[in-house]
Amino acid sequence: MPDIHPILSLHQVGVFYRRHRGIFGEPFWALKEVSFKLHAGETLGIIGRNGAGKSTLLRLLAGIIKPDRGEVQRSGGYRTSLLSLNLGFIPYLNGRENAMLGGMLLGLRRHEIAARLEQIKAFSELEDFFERPINTYSSGMLARLGFSVAFQADPDILLIDEVLGVGDAQFNQKSTLAMQEKIKAGKTVVFVSHNGQIIHEICDRVVWIENGVTQAEGSPHEVLSAYHKTLHL
Amino acid sequence: MLKQYFDLILYKTYADLRAETERTYLGFLWWVFEPILFMGVFYLVFGVLFNNGIERFTQFLLIGLVTWQWFKSSLAHGEQTILANRPLIQQIYLPKIVFPIILVLTDSVKFVFIFVLLLVFLWSTGSLPGTAYLALPLVLFVELLFILACTLLLAAIVPFIPDLRFVTENFLTAVFFMSGLFFKAAETVPPHLQFYFYLNPMANLIEDYRHILMYNQLPNWTALLVIALVSLAGIVFSAWLIRRFEFLYPKITA
Repeated sequence: MPDIHPILSLHQVGVFYRRHRGIFGEPFWALKEVSFKLHAGETLGIIGRNGAGKSTLLRLLAGIIKPDRGEVQRSGGYRTSLLSLNLGFIPYLNGRENAMLGGMLLGLRRHEIAARLEQIKAFSELEDFFERPINTYSSGMLARLGFSVAFQADPDILLIDEVLGVGDAQFNQKSTLAMQEKIKAGKTVVFVSHNGQIIHEICDRVVWIENGVTQAEGSPHEVLSAYHKTLHL
Repeated sequence: MLKQYFDLILYKTYADLRAETERTYLGFLWWVFEPILFMGVFYLVFGVLFNNGIERFTQFLLIGLVTWQWFKSSLAHGEQTILANRPLIQQIYLPKIVFPIILVLTDSVKFVFIFVLLLVFLWSTGSLPGTAYLALPLVLFVELLFILACTLLLAAIVPFIPDLRFVTENFLTAVFFMSGLFFKAAETVPPHLQFYFYLNPMANLIEDYRHILMYNQLPNWTALLVIALVSLAGIVFSAWLIRRFEFLYPKITA
């Protein structure tokens, strides 16, 4: 890694939820002490078993929640968002309208998403269905629309939870390739998974989190072998 | 940044309205039919079966019902908006205040249709527009402010105390019967209780609408000003409250 300023850094961050109804009840610390840095242009993998606090971490990175202790430092001006499919889609509206809505929810301006509608239509391969209500779609078609919209959103820091591609085998390959191209093109990405193999393939560095605590941070090879050791104990 | 959310609010309002029209066979006609059915019931009971001796009672009643429904439906729907959008706000950051605002907007658009229908009814049954109509936009605007204040406040609190919904439902029913929809306060309410009766903003607003639409009289400016100021304060306070809890709402567990 070149020695530059991190665009995002976490310092001993903790986040808690309440065990009971709403915001009452005793706190449950989903993240206890997480620290790492994210540099511009890198692909950072975050690995950990189920319940390690990965979803909470993504929410924190996306700016959806604030840490209850510790510190998150951001260099200004970066748009960070989660790759979310079918965000805010409304069943009775057609593909075009849902693409508009989804794009705006993902942070695009109205004219920006409007300018990309034809690209979305083409990439999703929906053709005439693009103008029909999405409740007439098959689940594969819906996934294609969802991915094509999310792919256009293009934030400065992209957060990905688990999967790169979606849809049937053919579209899955196409969408995975598109994502990989974007990642290779120098996009700053945080990729969260419990699958060591994919992380090894696409990530420059890896952070391993267990029970809300950072266990290790370093090259994929080092961190993953340490992770797998505990896994097979 | 604000511009972006403004666009989103408008588009989402449009999308919600369109989704509503697509959901049924008759589509947007229901925006008109539903209130007509609703008002028909009240007309039958209080206009036909009850003899209350108020002149042009149908007009008197419908003005109250139409403007009350705008308030009531915004509140009843709006209080749940932040809670209902939990899946969304756990995926992306959005200022939570957009959700109740979108709801008030969609309900206001539907209200416009019904209100125009009401005006047509009033004109065709003898209450023609007079100079007092000039004050009508102002009364509508003040009611919108009042609706926003109440809806934002409830939307801010209900996510933390969902039980509140049952309270507001019954509270709304109580206020409904105390807003003078079926009676003239000046003649019915005992003099020593009149002061308390008029503490209810809806009672004042409904009377203002009747003054303008039926009697060509100007509204009570003082009361209107007080309601506007209190509502503005309520809007500012509620917006502050929602802003304060901005990052807490996504953490609420179901």
